[in-house]
Amino acid sequence: MEYKLHQLKLSLASLDSRHVRIALVLLSLTLFVMGAGAPEMGGDLGR
Amino acid sequence: MLLVIAVFAGFLAGLLRAWLSNQRYEIPQISHSWLVLIAFLPQWLAFYLPATRRSIPDQWAIAALIGSQVLLLIFVWRNSYQPRYRNRLGFWLLGLGLILNLTVILLNGGLMPISPENVSRLVPDAAPGSWQINSRLGTGKDIVLAVDQTRLWWLSDHFLLPLPGRDVAFSLGDIIIAAGAFFVLCVWIRTQSDLIPTDGN
Repeated sequence: MEYKLHQLKLSLASLDSRHVRIALVLLSLTLFVMGAGAPEMGGDLGR
Repeated sequence: MLLVIAVFAGFLAGLLRAWLSNQRYEIPQISHSWLVLIAFLPQWLAFYLPATRRSIPDQWAIAALIGSQVLLLIFVWRNSYQPRYRNRLGFWLLGLGLILNLTVILLNGGLMPISPENVSRLVPDAAPGSWQINSRLGTGKDIVLAVDQTRLWWLSDHFLLPLPGRDVAFSLGDIIIAAGAFFVLCVWIRTQSDLIPTDGN
């Protein structure tokens, strides 16, 4: 368990701020376009 | 779904462009990301989450849509002051598309209008009586309106794209939003030519 936690910490540490920033921008733009644009047609209509 | 594809297409195109020009891909500096999260939350409850969207009244859904899009507009405005002109253009396109969608929504009762003809083509297998003219389409963001009853119909969801399995409808604003998202992510490469001249030339 302790070994796995250590591995996780190493993995997270390898993500520099640039990767985090890319993920944040992609998430923000994805949510933006979902909120600003075309919806799923009719929600649960016909399903 | 189309717009989400545009986001990831822009990202992949940006990566490819950076790789081909042997530069490191750079992502835009975005501020006030929390505004997007807050803006999307009411829409998620009103239109996306099956457990809640069926129980939320239409008036609340309309308020969620308009309030959410106003917050998204503030987000675009706060991010439109980018240091590079080509990146400003992406945010300007996002803002323009959002304004077009919001305008036609506000002029038609708070939901995005769609014609009965388009609905028939989009959901030909819909149960009889599951939708009617002048009413909200299911639990989505659309309202079914005849073209002659729609204000600025050319801004409504009147474009159709046939896709395998299911066609999709989208508006002119959606096209511009897709272009903006693509542009923001695709052109974001650190080059000297991106810099805005500061000496007036």
